[in-house]
Amino acid sequence: MAPILPLHGAAPTQAKASIVTTVDAVCTTCPFCACGCGIYLQAEDGKLSGVGPSRHHPISQSRVCARGWGAHEAPAWGERLTEPLVRRAGGLTPVTWEEALDAATTSLGAVQAAGKAVGVLGSARATNEENYLVARLARGALGTGDLDSCLRSTYLPLARGIARGSGGRAPWGRLADIEGSEVVIVFDGDLASSHPRAAFAVMRAVARGARLLTVSCLRTQLARLAALHVPVSPGGQHEVVSGLVASVAEAGGAEESVPEGWAVEPPAALAEEVREAGRWYAEAERASLLVAPEAVMGNSGEAFGAALALLSRMSGHLGRPGSVLLPLPVRWNLRGACEMGVGPDVLPGGGPLDDAAALERLAEVWGGEPATGAGRDAAAMIGTVGGLVVVADDPPSALRDGRAAVQGLAELDCLVVLDAFMTPTVRAAHVVLPIASHAENEGTCTSADGRVQRVRPCAPPPGSARPGWQVLAGLSAGLGRAFDFASPGGVLDEIRRVVPAYERLDERALDEVWGDVVAPQSDGRPIECPARFGDPPRASGDASHLLALDGVFDWGSDPLVAFAPTLSRDFISRRKLFSGGLVEMSGEDAKALGVRPGWPVRIKSLHGEVTLPVVVRREVERGLLLVPFAFRDQVGDVLGGHDIVPVQVTRPEG
Amino acid sequence: MESVTAQVIARARVGAWIERLMAEAEVIAPVLAHGGDEVFAAIQSPDEVLWEFANPVHPPKQFLLPQTDPVVAIRRAGNGYALEPIVDERRRILLNIRSCDVTGLAFLRRVHAADLPDDSYLRRAAAVTVVCLACSQPCPLGFCVCSAAGPFAREGYDVQLSDMGDRLLAEPGSERGEELLSAAGDLFRPATSEELARRHDLEEQAKRLFGEETCHFASAMRRVSTGRVADELWASMTDWCLECGACNFVCPTCYCFSVKDRRDGDGWLRCRTWDSCQYPAFTREASGHNPREERKDRIKRRFFHKVSAQYFQRDGVVGCVGCGRCIEVCLGTTDMPAVVAAIRKGEWHG
Repeated sequence: MAPILPLHGAAPTQAKASIVTTVDAVCTTCPFCACGCGIYLQAEDGKLSGVGPSRHHPISQSRVCARGWGAHEAPAWGERLTEPLVRRAGGLTPVTWEEALDAATTSLGAVQAAGKAVGVLGSARATNEENYLVARLARGALGTGDLDSCLRSTYLPLARGIARGSGGRAPWGRLADIEGSEVVIVFDGDLASSHPRAAFAVMRAVARGARLLTVSCLRTQLARLAALHVPVSPGGQHEVVSGLVASVAEAGGAEESVPEGWAVEPPAALAEEVREAGRWYAEAERASLLVAPEAVMGNSGEAFGAALALLSRMSGHLGRPGSVLLPLPVRWNLRGACEMGVGPDVLPGGGPLDDAAALERLAEVWGGEPATGAGRDAAAMIGTVGGLVVVADDPPSALRDGRAAVQGLAELDCLVVLDAFMTPTVRAAHVVLPIASHAENEGTCTSADGRVQRVRPCAPPPGSARPGWQVLAGLSAGLGRAFDFASPGGVLDEIRRVVPAYERLDERALDEVWGDVVAPQSDGRPIECPARFGDPPRASGDASHLLALDGVFDWGSDPLVAFAPTLSRDFISRRKLFSGGLVEMSGEDAKALGVRPGWPVRIKSLHGEVTLPVVVRREVERGLLLVPFAFRDQVGDVLGGHDIVPVQVTRPEG
Repeated sequence: MESVTAQVIARARVGAWIERLMAEAEVIAPVLAHGGDEVFAAIQSPDEVLWEFANPVHPPKQFLLPQTDPVVAIRRAGNGYALEPIVDERRRILLNIRSCDVTGLAFLRRVHAADLPDDSYLRRAAAVTVVCLACSQPCPLGFCVCSAAGPFAREGYDVQLSDMGDRLLAEPGSERGEELLSAAGDLFRPATSEELARRHDLEEQAKRLFGEETCHFASAMRRVSTGRVADELWASMTDWCLECGACNFVCPTCYCFSVKDRRDGDGWLRCRTWDSCQYPAFTREASGHNPREERKDRIKRRFFHKVSAQYFQRDGVVGCVGCGRCIEVCLGTTDMPAVVAAIRKGEWHG
């Protein structure tokens, strides 16, 4: 047969197999925020090379945000852990897997034998299977309640508040439902950058004629699209919720009476707007309530969640098809990690520690009683426990007090870290166990709106790195409690036996389409009203401004961004320009102080003082100073452990 | 060689033809991926090839301009470094790509051949054979008629196929296309005059199905090119854009890139990677200064490049092939038709 292309290009080298594709595209879940978009990860010759969108994914629907388009970068470009390491003579030294696992279990055993506690950290960056095994390792093999993930406190209290205020319901509604809402209320941090797919849903609702109310201390992008924006000082969001409750009650839409003290007239300056928004919400057929992770700063997350559930219930939106109440977890699988029981006071399934039915199930499946004691949270653990197992988490980057985390990690007798990337935590480790990144891993994750989806491997893990579930199984076996799993599918099977909401997950939906949604079910628990809110800090007298952190998380410190050449650029240049930190304020405040961008201001609170250069940001309201979460340690002394403090701001002399 | 005219192949024999193509080159065609999406991918069997399909949202541009494209291998050599260009001249056939994408590839070839020719791109492109499948009806979001890019391709293809149900009509568009058809030997036969007439009717009918759509590029171009779009208009659009960069990445005519070195064993691979003019860091300079710091300047830049007379004079066409992908992927509402309409009317309503 005559060659068809006689003149052009290099001939295929061998038989057909070598001609056929070198590019693989694997459908998997975007690994960044909790929106749960579907993407195709591409690899060429086994090396990750790109990302493709999915038209048929129920959440993303052809769309991928800037982070998603860079999902292939960090695993291919980042500083990867490729072999097990053990600290010897001060340095991390490559060893075999057997030596590393042995070193880890021996050291952890020695810590426990010395009467010291061993804690475990799971992660929003780990799959459901990994997080479940983390919980089983802690409450099963190690017999401890010292179990947490660094970001849990930004989400679980809200979800728990919602459950308490709604008879045990999980957050409900889908992102796609938001697009069809008549009224959307957003307690915004900055969803446009933290959760772009959710922000797009809001944008689309507005384009279709929905009324948008935003409540935030920033005039964010969504606030600029809103029919009504209610500016609040940080910590003041709950005054708007209480006002909305009062307004719904007044509008007569309330289907039940309001518990004592929960309907409060908002501050006079906001009263009219809030009353109006309450009427919209009560009258709407389909309405959405979205809560950005930043909204709980300075608030009790649990009380805030309960108040939102109350608002939703009173107006009849609770559980109504098309209506939405979603707190947005700040990072990928945070909801899944909480539902797998990664927390000091929850069991797998998310129930409380005294949930008799859950304990019985766990004892049967685990072949032994689980530890039922309430443990310490991540921040309290570091500095008090003797040993720590960290799975894909990074306390120095994620905890509120990064300096204390660095110091605490350095003081541990034994730090065992499972991660795919080099992080500050890995640098402090005694034993490093390299695991697969999201691009090489197999398992499931749970999105903000409860969709459980597959994570599929697109490339082999580098070097001798292994899937996280395998390593956790090895670790547990070394501690005397072997897990009997042949695959991550086996772990999921066990999850379905102990986590009621996952029991009816459809395997076919997980495999053949893009995942299955965990149905929010009421467990018939009586509706409770947790403690009410405290008063938010207010500026007064000399302390004429409020200082707060901007955000509860810094993407620039996350390995999936920090190691991605395209995604890290903005964060790197900001750190270069402001290596000592910065403070953001409104143009009006800068003018009143007589300072220009880049000039220093002195910020003084009851706790301490600091001098920082000014960045003028048009979104910031007057009277507010914001310091990005990435620079939180520079204002640690001024905040003195609080989220928000009144401060005196002056222009230094000279 | 005698010039090859339009040929016809019976539907039942198309599989055999594709098998022959697969023996000679990597054949890339629209297939159904796990997850239910139509994607362009190298096929393993002729049965995988889709003939009726929604045009994949990820265009075939990815095979000529991959998102990560190693272009130079860097190795330590003595006290210095040795640089070696990486050349990809794999024979590839892009099968069943639509006229919008064919026009996009022709555009990219011109851009990369002009001024300083881009050897890496041109050598890869020279090894690619383009087999277009003409559209017999408009796709839901496409407006290729406005960009002179469809529904049938006018340039840039080696072979153009028209689907006539029980047979395909194949027209060569280049010498290579003629070779491709004549090498297929007895699988094809010359088209009859009735078949040629039917192909003409198919094109006319497809054009009619676009309806009374009017092209607004010209009036938008006049306004953009003469500075008659107010800064406030660009600013008002920015709140409806989340700067995802998807419009650039799926655009058949966007080609902007960044250059980064990736560790590879003891050395490095210098890679050309996709970049987006909508990203704040795209134009940031080493000093920290950014000439397009503000979002409105970035969105303005994008549409200036796409529809200004200055670029039209250079490229001979607008930088849009009317595939409609930016409408589908936009994480906001600032897609091409929406912004062109806003420019023309001087108003933006989201």
